Amino acid sequence: MALDTVFRDQWGRVLATLVGILGDIELAEDAAAEAFAVAAERWPRDGEPANPIGWLITTARNRAIDHLRRRQVLADKTKLLARDIETGPQPPEALMDDAATIPDERLELIFTCCHPALSLEAQVALTLRALGGLTTDEIALAFLVPFETMSKRLTRAKHKIRHAGIPFAIPPDHQLPDRLAAVLAVVYLIFNQGWGGGRVDLAAEAIHLGRALADLMPDEPEALALPALMLLHDARKAARLRDGQIVPLDDQDRTLWDTRQIDEGRALLRRAMARGQTGPYLVQAAIADLHLHEPRDWRQIAALYQTLARQTRSPIVEMNRAIAVAEIDGPEAGLAILDGLDLDHYRYFHSTRAELLRRAGRDGEAHHAYRRALDLAQTEPEQRFLAGRLAETKSSVRREPGCDST
Amino acid sequence: MQYALLAYSPPEDTDRATRPIPGDLAALLDRPDVTGWARLHADESATTLRNDEERMLLTDGPFIDSKEYLAGLILIEADDLDGALAIAERMLQVTRPGTAIEVRPVIDGRLRGA
Repeated sequence: MALDTVFRDQWGRVLATLVGILGDIELAEDAAAEAFAVAAERWPRDGEPANPIGWLITTARNRAIDHLRRRQVLADKTKLLARDIETGPQPPEALMDDAATIPDERLELIFTCCHPALSLEAQVALTLRALGGLTTDEIALAFLVPFETMSKRLTRAKHKIRHAGIPFAIPPDHQLPDRLAAVLAVVYLIFNQGWGGGRVDLAAEAIHLGRALADLMPDEPEALALPALMLLHDARKAARLRDGQIVPLDDQDRTLWDTRQIDEGRALLRRAMARGQTGPYLVQAAIADLHLHEPRDWRQIAALYQTLARQTRSPIVEMNRAIAVAEIDGPEAGLAILDGLDLDHYRYFHSTRAELLRRAGRDGEAHHAYRRALDLAQTEPEQRFLAGRLAETKSSVRREPGCDST
Repeated sequence: MQYALLAYSPPEDTDRATRPIPGDLAALLDRPDVTGWARLHADESATTLRNDEERMLLTDGPFIDSKEYLAGLILIEADDLDGALAIAERMLQVTRPGTAIEVRPVIDGRLRGA
């Protein structure tokens, strides 16, 4: 196995265990980084140890003990190290044998990183750093902020965790629903950021995190439903663009869909549904699944959007319901729903409205709505798509000058 | 860990000094994990002193001028932030509507018995 793969897969596990041992995320991160650097130097030469995780944890722990010996003042602030400082570091081999029994503490770590006492942007950055193993550089690139800004954000967050005493623990039952929702929101935010076309594949990172959550919380339907939702969306990625142009779902080349991701997503969705609760991620995953069927069952989709609208009270969900209703009862029925929504700032609201107006034959109004959508569009493919629509509706406007009264 | 709970209250017309601490809140302040507390007069009574380039400037009123004022300081002992937040939540349930509590970890300090 290449070292990169080990690094990416094991970083979160190694770091979580170290935070558990050392009681401090910054100390743990420095020690883990050193251990991975030593591994990068030694493994290619000496061969990979039988148990890479055990080796990395032991090496990192020994490094941390070295540091702490030099900074004795910190010693009393760490949980288990006082004894280790007395007895000295152990050879990596000592832990290698029982490495299989090293507890997986990634869940504790993710609840620390997504604690609501941290700002949302700090939660996102910390989760990508601690669980995803992304470097500060990569996270800065992904969110289009300078390296220094991201570095300060991460440092400040780690200091707040230490000074404010944010726990390294899975929340008790009465807090779990809220706190799990916060964790899932962070992962989903990372996923949606990934569709922006940045230089780091955040969608893949989010799916990676989502799979880990599903493994760690197999009894939580929403923790199963979120990766299902992400996989079912992401499976269509290769078909969404053709020659830099956005391809609407009905025109997509289905052979480009990732069937392995669809199967994995559907399997997770089935497991989530079997638990008999309908949270917002479960409903969204079910909708994403329905969108993959041909022909699409718009009545079921509209009904699920109604359920979701009740759960979330989100006008964006209502907008999506309007699209489904337009497919069933015609564009005017969809437009009637859109008219009641306060979404003027939202770019997809205008493109959605424009599309329904165009289908309703109201090209003049559609033209204006496409113009508004184009003003708000953020990515080049979106801009090209909307510019094309704008040109189409313009020629209609010229043909029927009476339509353009606004 | 020790935490300081800083309670900010919305403005009020009555003289809070003459109002007794409500029974529910008094019971919470008697908890063993509350290590100290102080109720403060409203911010009309505050005077702020600051050092402006070696000149002592005295101004009437609190340092931070906001609608809410710092009404009390409560010191508590808790295992971690979640424990401290749980105590603050209990207190918010028996304080006046609009009250906010800022939770701050304590570095060190000393409290003399009152």
